[in-house]
Amino acid sequence: MLEIKDLTVTYHTNTSLVCAVNNVSFSVKKGESVGIMGESGCGKTTLAMAVMGLIQDADISGKILFNNDNLLAIPEKKLNQYRWKKIAIVFQNSLEVFNPVLTIGEQIIEPMRTHAALSLKKADIRMRYLLELTGLDPEWANGYPHQMSGGMRQRALIAMAISCDPKFLIIDEPTTSLDPESRDSILRLIKELQKRIGFSLIMISHNLSALREMTSTVMTMCCGQIVEQGITADVMRNPMHCYTRGLIDASPDFFKYKDLWGIRGTIPQNTQSNGCAFYSRCCQAGENCKNQRPILQYVSVERKVACHKGGIETLLEVYGIQKTYLLKDRKIPAVKDVDLNIKSGEIVALIGKSGSGKSSLAHILVNLLSPDKGEIFFMGKKVKGFKVTKKIGGMQIVFQDPFSSTSHRMRVLDVVNEPLDIMKWKTAEERNIKSMAAISMAGLPCSDDFLQRYAHTLSGGQRQRLSMARALVTGPRLLIADEVTSMLDPSSSANLLRELKGLQNIHGFSMLYITHDFHLARKVANRAYVMSEGRIVESGPSFEIFERPVHPVTISLMNSSFSKKEQKKRKKG
Amino acid sequence: MMMPGKYLTFINRFSKTGQTGLIIVGIVFFMAIFAPLISVHSHKLSSGPPLSSPNGEHILGTDELGVDLWAQICFGSRISLVIGMGTALLAGSCGGLIGVLAAYSGGMTDRILMRIIDIITVLPDLPVMIVLAAFFGPGLINIIIVLSLFSWVATARIVRSQVLQLKEQLYIKSAETYGAGTWYLMKRHFLPEIFPLVAVSMIRLTGKAIVAEAGLSFLGLGDPASGSWGLIIHHATSFTGIYYTNFWKWWLIAPWIALTLMVSSLAFISRDFERFADPRMDRRKNRYQKQ
Repeated sequence: MLEIKDLTVTYHTNTSLVCAVNNVSFSVKKGESVGIMGESGCGKTTLAMAVMGLIQDADISGKILFNNDNLLAIPEKKLNQYRWKKIAIVFQNSLEVFNPVLTIGEQIIEPMRTHAALSLKKADIRMRYLLELTGLDPEWANGYPHQMSGGMRQRALIAMAISCDPKFLIIDEPTTSLDPESRDSILRLIKELQKRIGFSLIMISHNLSALREMTSTVMTMCCGQIVEQGITADVMRNPMHCYTRGLIDASPDFFKYKDLWGIRGTIPQNTQSNGCAFYSRCCQAGENCKNQRPILQYVSVERKVACHKGGIETLLEVYGIQKTYLLKDRKIPAVKDVDLNIKSGEIVALIGKSGSGKSSLAHILVNLLSPDKGEIFFMGKKVKGFKVTKKIGGMQIVFQDPFSSTSHRMRVLDVVNEPLDIMKWKTAEERNIKSMAAISMAGLPCSDDFLQRYAHTLSGGQRQRLSMARALVTGPRLLIADEVTSMLDPSSSANLLRELKGLQNIHGFSMLYITHDFHLARKVANRAYVMSEGRIVESGPSFEIFERPVHPVTISLMNSSFSKKEQKKRKKG
Repeated sequence: MMMPGKYLTFINRFSKTGQTGLIIVGIVFFMAIFAPLISVHSHKLSSGPPLSSPNGEHILGTDELGVDLWAQICFGSRISLVIGMGTALLAGSCGGLIGVLAAYSGGMTDRILMRIIDIITVLPDLPVMIVLAAFFGPGLINIIIVLSLFSWVATARIVRSQVLQLKEQLYIKSAETYGAGTWYLMKRHFLPEIFPLVAVSMIRLTGKAIVAEAGLSFLGLGDPASGSWGLIIHHATSFTGIYYTNFWKWWLIAPWIALTLMVSSLAFISRDFERFADPRMDRRKNRYQKQ
């Protein structure tokens, strides 16, 4: 029905050209609902305006085909036959989109008069019908926009848009600045109207759960480019572009308990670059991402991603790990047939009771224990010996016990220098500089006095930060954090965890966060694995595991970590 | 080279008793090195009337042959120091090496070495030493070897247990994950950790060896020509009826005081060294100084 081919919109400002929509192609079939998500400023609204033919002072190239008529080639006058009657738009809700000196009724009547050429009387009747249809009292026809609430105005805008029975409706941010109740009723209204009138829908929103409810396919726009396209439910559950994942991660609708962290960095100003639009903010950016724009192509059925690496990379793959300890004649199976994978830039929680084999698994991953069976792949290559841990940009582990993991006899700077010293990385001076950067990254002071202090003079929290600095100095792509906060008091633990998450957000490394603490896990994790008696019993995105756990072990773990609180409350009460 | 200021701060880290010990050991070293200069009389030949009490000529008196006791003690300190330090070095380094070897290689080597250590530990050392000393015959080197044979086990045990414990430390394990080899771990982690232990046990061994040598000499199994402090005591006590006379007051007490002072000074120093060996234990002293 609507097909957009290589659409590019370039705005002229005084000093530079701003490419708001960059080479976008997609199509919408009859009756289909397509969602477009992205941060503000990514070109969503410009795209909508371009389809409506409402952009004047900009260069537009490409094709917008509506039932095979190219809207861009049609003269302005003829275009009016399309506007409102065939393609209508529900503008982003604000006072500005209304004319303040006209009543709502007059404003709804206007398109009907000009586009559908209805008589005033007929239009007036239809206006009242539309107001009722959208859940407004027809009395409001005589009201002025500033007298109405946000939800009412949104309804009025919808009424205006559907006034000429459009075949195609573009809705721009229908739910912003609405409370949840009016949000739900607006969405319900749009759905009902779509059922009744049968229009195709493009819904532009940064409210991901609204998109999930309303649309069947969804596209992600970043800096005017479409970077991911797929079936809404799939994309939301398993995003394959870092940008889409960033948007979902930042959405409290999905991660109700997780700490709020947006995508690092800001939208790059220079939209003219040839590289990937997300290059400067991506956690897996490589060399060719800078100079070469990736093409939107299929990576699986019904899923297109624009990424040189074919979407989010898988950093660590673990297959069939088994480990049995021998205690005299008894065999103690610690890890039984564990599969695991960690993608780049995500935090995966491994949750389990103590003795469930979590730490054994962590030690196996860094080769401090050798598994009886199973294979480990890091960035697609099989791991042998300490190959992965003894390099810059590899895999590092931070242990539970801060006192044993750093030598009390060594000085702060020497502790952090150690991995670089062993790897013989560059010169001693460069190592010092890098170590100092890592020390301040881990939130420790960088004064000479502190750098020369012995590790034993530091507190538990400081030493845990020190071992974190030592792990981070090698710039790991994957950090295994084995119960890093369990020996710290709640405040130090909170500070440490927040900083760790902040560093993760900035540097984009992946993390395997091993813990027995459900509360902490759901604060940080994108995904979670639940381990019990050496087996992974449940896994999935954290908005599924923490809200609708299926396996009895997960449920009982969760119950026990929450019922304690209730019991205390009851006692107090 | 360390600056004089650094020496001062190093000495400052010692406790009061440790500093006293350092001074006494220093004096004994001085006596040993400059023995010919500070003793007017010969330590072998008669230089005055026998058994004279301390006086201006002979500040510590003379023995039954009229040999000056001060000269004997000055020259005797040489023997005591050589035997003490020789034994400590030999036993300490061998014990340290064997300990590291046992712990690091583990398995069969460890088991064999541990059984040898067990055997030597349960052997009553003085009788065996007496037998060995009598068998090998008197002589400085022999004494050192005999003493070392029994002294290395303690060091080896301490070092072994320390290395075993270190091997399990997470910081050693993380160093391994960074790709550290055996040589690096030895140099950077094991040796610095065990060196203070070895040093402490060496100082202890010095004291023990001096006493053991004195014991052997006292029993007449030492080198009769050496003239160590033990030998002076041996001669004094074998003088028939010394306790009925006043002679013991200088002849016996002087070498005994020298021996006691030396050994207890070494004990004080080793106690302080133990504190340095573990930086964690140094905090108390630092806090004390700040106040």
